[in-house]
Amino acid sequence: MEYAIEARKLSKSFGGRKALSEVSFSLPEGAFLSVFGHNGAGKTTLLRILATLARPTGGSAKILGYDLKEEAENIRSHIGLISHAPMLYPDLTAEENLLLYANLYGVENPEARVKELLKAVELKTRRMDTVRGFSRGMKQRLSIARALIHNPELVFLDEPYSGLDPHAVEIFDGLIQNAREGRTFVMVSHDLAKGFALCTHALVLSRGNVVVFEEKDKLDFEAFQATYSKTVGLGVL
Amino acid sequence: MPDTKRQPKQRSLPEAGQMADRVAPFALIVGIVLTTVGFFLAFFYAAPVNGAEVYARDAAGNILRDSAGNALPALEEIGGQLVSNVLLISQKIFYFHMPVALVSFLALAVAAFYCVRFLMTKQQRYDTCARISMEIALVFVICTMITGEMWTRFEWGVWWTWEPRLTTYLILMLVVIAYFVLRNALDDPERCATYAAVVGIIAFVDVPICFMITRLVPSSVHPVVLREGGMSADMGITLVLVLIGMLCVAFALYRMRFRQVRMQERVEALKAALDEE
Amino acid sequence: MATPSTFRQYKTLLVKDVRQEFRTKEMLTSMGIYALLVLIVYGAALAQTSNQLDILQMSGGLLWALIVFTSLLGLNRSFFAEKEQGCIEGILLAPLDRSVLFLAKATSNLLFLIIIEVIAVPLFWFFFLTTTTPAETFPLMVVPLIVGTIGVAGVGTLLSTITMNTRGKDVMLAVLFIPLIFPLLYACVSATTAVLVGGDTALNTFMLSLVLAAGYDIIMVLLSWVLYDFVISA
Repeated sequence: MEYAIEARKLSKSFGGRKALSEVSFSLPEGAFLSVFGHNGAGKTTLLRILATLARPTGGSAKILGYDLKEEAENIRSHIGLISHAPMLYPDLTAEENLLLYANLYGVENPEARVKELLKAVELKTRRMDTVRGFSRGMKQRLSIARALIHNPELVFLDEPYSGLDPHAVEIFDGLIQNAREGRTFVMVSHDLAKGFALCTHALVLSRGNVVVFEEKDKLDFEAFQATYSKTVGLGVL
Repeated sequence: MPDTKRQPKQRSLPEAGQMADRVAPFALIVGIVLTTVGFFLAFFYAAPVNGAEVYARDAAGNILRDSAGNALPALEEIGGQLVSNVLLISQKIFYFHMPVALVSFLALAVAAFYCVRFLMTKQQRYDTCARISMEIALVFVICTMITGEMWTRFEWGVWWTWEPRLTTYLILMLVVIAYFVLRNALDDPERCATYAAVVGIIAFVDVPICFMITRLVPSSVHPVVLREGGMSADMGITLVLVLIGMLCVAFALYRMRFRQVRMQERVEALKAALDEE
Repeated sequence: MATPSTFRQYKTLLVKDVRQEFRTKEMLTSMGIYALLVLIVYGAALAQTSNQLDILQMSGGLLWALIVFTSLLGLNRSFFAEKEQGCIEGILLAPLDRSVLFLAKATSNLLFLIIIEVIAVPLFWFFFLTTTTPAETFPLMVVPLIVGTIGVAGVGTLLSTITMNTRGKDVMLAVLFIPLIFPLLYACVSATTAVLVGGDTALNTFMLSLVLAAGYDIIMVLLSWVLYDFVISA
């Protein structure tokens, strides 16, 4: 089986403070991994390291077959990140924002690709409007288009639901479901029920250590919830 | 938990207390003794000289002398101010001013070196080294400014003049202060260390400028001592003694402060480790 | 899908900055108004000087004080849009060399500073120098303006990247920027004053100051460029 992510003893520390200690796991291609943990458990640190935004202090990892330390540039052209911050320039139009990223990634025929994505996220009529006037939900939809512009094989989601109303969450989920085809997802979330419903694999971090890494089929939600509350301590639910 | 100290897991803890730390107290004593000896030598051994060569001269450039053969003092314009030179005891400041200034440059160089090391390795130890070198540099920069101010006041007769070296040195002091202001304004320790290292390296650019300025701008009132015929042996000995003494003091201060900070970091790390269990 | 050429990425980033600025005109208007206000303050400060030569000798310094304070304001804003919705992370995720980011940002800052200078310098002239007779060599003052602005934009880009993540960033940028830019400022003031006042040794002073300023530019911009990777990734 091909692995999208192979993490070997990834750690991140500075001085005496350990943000991550020896995190190892292998995630097969096409999987949906949900990373759980309380605030400061190292979820975001792990995500930032895997997305090449931060450097690990120890260990190694292979992302889509590329070495994390040596081939960061190659990894970058195959991954996308949807965060709670939309990462869009508020004073550029929807179309200009997408074109900017398309050009940075070197997408072939950028105009056509942008048109196609704007249609997919149902923002075609608003393409000439600046992002500043968009609602939170619209920004997040455009953010999906931004993250998928170069057709990445691996997509990271960093608390994508924060600040979305239920209706926007529904649309967001639908778009993510459409994008699942042939892609690997890694999501960081506080929301246990939501994350568990979407995932195929679950990973629980506590104080920088992996407590649980398991396929969802082998987990029972009730039991998982109980272990989670027990190991993580503070009930986040 | 002293019994777990030898376990391999603990090895990553911040440590201090190598050989250098045992040497530090002796270095401090030696430094104090040497500077004190230098202090006495400066007054009782080194011959008195004129700080700035300001003598009244006749049209042919010969120094005018009074009936006893002493050179007559005259007025000279320095930094837009008329300065009268008097054969003064204030020249003794030189024996402290120059060593302290040299040590401050050295401390900045050490800090810049550790800043580079930190950016290469991203280890907290080097950041601590750089920070403490900067602290030592700040102490010596302030000492240089104080002795320099005494010098300008009593030798040149002005409190402040925008003379090239004074100006560049003031800027140096401001950059060192800015380094600490920046550190205070950042929360994330790793980011703080990285930004501080970058600023430390950029700040070092001012050191050669400051050091070379009296050689580049000839109008500077700062004498280039070594170029202008050097010093007599008695002055040289005094100067070298004080210089060595100041170096010892700086080294001792550095190691002692380093030990203190590292111990603090160690306590923090132990707390974090305890928290984990 | 191949990674696009470095130059294309540079152009894309630059076009983004310019397009955004011309749409909002945030940086340009605030800098322009600020420059005008500084000139008005100068008016009050210099109202009591009667000797024309005094103004001429001070003009180089006053002009540069205006430029330094105005660019400080602009540089503070230059990373505002990047930070506002986390865009800088989005850019960092793209497969591009970090130094391209520095060059693009420094170029756009340079461009905006030059636009402001094109407005502010004639205004300065209009308010303070029309009653005086500057030396024949005055057109040469464009050279120190360009050399100085390059240095300001280069160092300023690095420093504003640092300060965008600090508490009290407005003051922080000034605390770092003014001492570090000082040698350049000193040299540029001396060069500008030399060509405005004129005299026998003016050209010598002008050349020496320019060489110093250019040397400072080269060292500082190269250093900023090399160190930018560490700053932006931290």
